[in-house]
Amino acid sequence: MDALVEELIKVKSEGAGAVLITVVESDGVDGLDSGAKCLVRDGRIVLGSVGDPALEQRIVREAAERLAEERSQLLSLETDSGGQADVFFEVMPSPPKLIVVGAGHIAVPLVRMAKLMDYHVVVIDDRILFANRERFPEADEVVVGDMAETVKSLDITPTTYVVLITRGHKYDEPCLRELLDQPARYIGMIGSKRRIKACFERFKEEEHVSEELISRVYAPIGLDIATETPEEIALGILGEIIKVRRGGKAQSLSRK
Amino acid sequence: MENIYDDVKEFLDKGETVAVATIVSTKGSTPREVGAKMVVTAWGEILGTIGGGCGEADVRREAIEVVRTRKPRTVRVDLLDEISSDSPAVCGGIMNVFIDPWWKDEDGHEKGA
Repeated sequence: MDALVEELIKVKSEGAGAVLITVVESDGVDGLDSGAKCLVRDGRIVLGSVGDPALEQRIVREAAERLAEERSQLLSLETDSGGQADVFFEVMPSPPKLIVVGAGHIAVPLVRMAKLMDYHVVVIDDRILFANRERFPEADEVVVGDMAETVKSLDITPTTYVVLITRGHKYDEPCLRELLDQPARYIGMIGSKRRIKACFERFKEEEHVSEELISRVYAPIGLDIATETPEEIALGILGEIIKVRRGGKAQSLSRK
Repeated sequence: MENIYDDVKEFLDKGETVAVATIVSTKGSTPREVGAKMVVTAWGEILGTIGGGCGEADVRREAIEVVRTRKPRTVRVDLLDEISSDSPAVCGGIMNVFIDPWWKDEDGHEKGA
């Protein structure tokens, strides 16, 4: 087989999700050597082979699960013929996308930190004085336009994280309305407990938004780490995003 | 983030064999996560990291052997017995590192794949 390395480079540059499978050890499986590899992408093996078709089926299934969890893992798989193979699943997830709505003083450190952690970062504001390249040199996309309209136009997937930190609830709320039925992995909104409660009550009464949808929203945004400065608040927000992504247990302000 | 396979390709294109060392499982506290990897060349040059310290030095030594023999192996790195040492990388855990040789044969096909 050729060009596995080329394909791995392509996977990364395209931001696609893939899993590289390597046989670390095998026992009693004919023709399957340590070091055998295959690459799973789009739910099938695109390169390489481990021989046994039943084992390959199992590998494709496991690969999909590992990719969804974004977790590389060594698994011991048994074959129909009674053999056993220790197989390493190296997960190469597509980079998570962070959408920052509101380009104010918290957005600046938040975007920098998120780029450090390899997120694809989109910044949105309706003021060009705030949403510009000078202010966000590291951002992947800087969009100037009506914030709710822009949010509505974006492709939001289960690997998208959205932070609503505009200059006022007048702007956050219409954005949130556009997001509630989207499959985003995380939606966080800034604001005091009192204002947020009022906002959620209004959503329920006036728009009949279900409690279930509202309970998805992390508001007030961020982890409970007594933040004070914009930089600290940004860290608390990013910490909360990591907690959601990786399944951590730190306390969120919204769940206090 | 840097893509380690860019480095692998560079070496393979030059006709070199490299060893790719990957943390495949861990127990207890370890300096890097499962999936972390580094590339080791025939001369022991290292790209990437699996946590530094004595454990990484052991893996590097084994990796040079893997490049030479072109046979993969798994190395168990025990960070438990370093507690009393001065090593800055004392974590207290155990990690299993799979070391895999990669090279390109004459007709341009990659081996180890």
